[in-house]
Amino acid sequence: MIDRFQYREDREAYSAARVKALEALLIKKGIITDKTVDTVLDFFETKMGPFNGAKIVARAWVDPSFKDRLVTDTPAAIAELNLPEGMAGAEGEHMRAVANSPDVHNLIICTLCSCYPWPVLGLPPYWYKDPTFRSRAAREPRAVLGEFGLPVPEAIEIKVWDSSAQIRWFVVPERPVGTEGMTEAELEALVTPEAMMGVAIAKAA
Amino acid sequence: MLTQFEHFAVTEMMGKTDNPPRANGSLCFGSQWERSSFGMALALAKNGIFEWDDFRDELISTIKAWEDAHPVDRSTWNYYDQFLAALEKAVVKAGIIDPEEIRAVLAG
Repeated sequence: MIDRFQYREDREAYSAARVKALEALLIKKGIITDKTVDTVLDFFETKMGPFNGAKIVARAWVDPSFKDRLVTDTPAAIAELNLPEGMAGAEGEHMRAVANSPDVHNLIICTLCSCYPWPVLGLPPYWYKDPTFRSRAAREPRAVLGEFGLPVPEAIEIKVWDSSAQIRWFVVPERPVGTEGMTEAELEALVTPEAMMGVAIAKAA
Repeated sequence: MLTQFEHFAVTEMMGKTDNPPRANGSLCFGSQWERSSFGMALALAKNGIFEWDDFRDELISTIKAWEDAHPVDRSTWNYYDQFLAALEKAVVKAGIIDPEEIRAVLAG
């Protein structure tokens, strides 16, 4: 059915029509409503995702005492922010933040399972569950970070944190230089999931 | 641990054949129909119309069939083409929509 159409644009229009038909039928039968799709996607787009981590990190950048509390009692510090429910509760209660400094670069991995601090980082990238990445990052983090385009000087210690069902780590990257005049909202835009995993650093846009 | 269905459903796909495309921690949709397909499948499974695992089996076999049919040139690959095909099969199998009904709407 799909391959009946030779050109991409035709297939696009045809797929869009099929989805529209399907949605209309399901709504007509009372199985879903016209809000269902948005409601489901809302979870990924506004409730749980990297935008939460960005808010946490930006606050840590502008408020050093928040940053201290964040690394000493992560769930309690997160609870201070007005984030969606679940951030500091069932989903996020095992979260622990580690902060980069001029002397230490942190990297999070997960050698055993799929544990990932989803509420702050969103969906993991495809390579995160790759066994080669996991074992090499534990064994030779400096080489792996170099391959990610992040050469870490020998003078800087690399700490590798292995997430588990008990503790899910995320990294507070360093605030980029040249961002002194930026607002908290502007800073949020500089925080990427990669920086919060420790495979990148935050950069001034 | 108390987990939202949406979280569980997508986490299960990570690292598997039916891994959905994503970037910067978010799902990536190339168009509105891709987003709607994903949302409908998740909502139907959440409401118990079909099991998420059964839908995933359908999706994985649909992907496998596409890959077998395109052994060399995979430039026309689009994850959501397979996703939509699997979703259509799943709603028919669940008995909530007859293929004739879809055809009638498309023809109309």
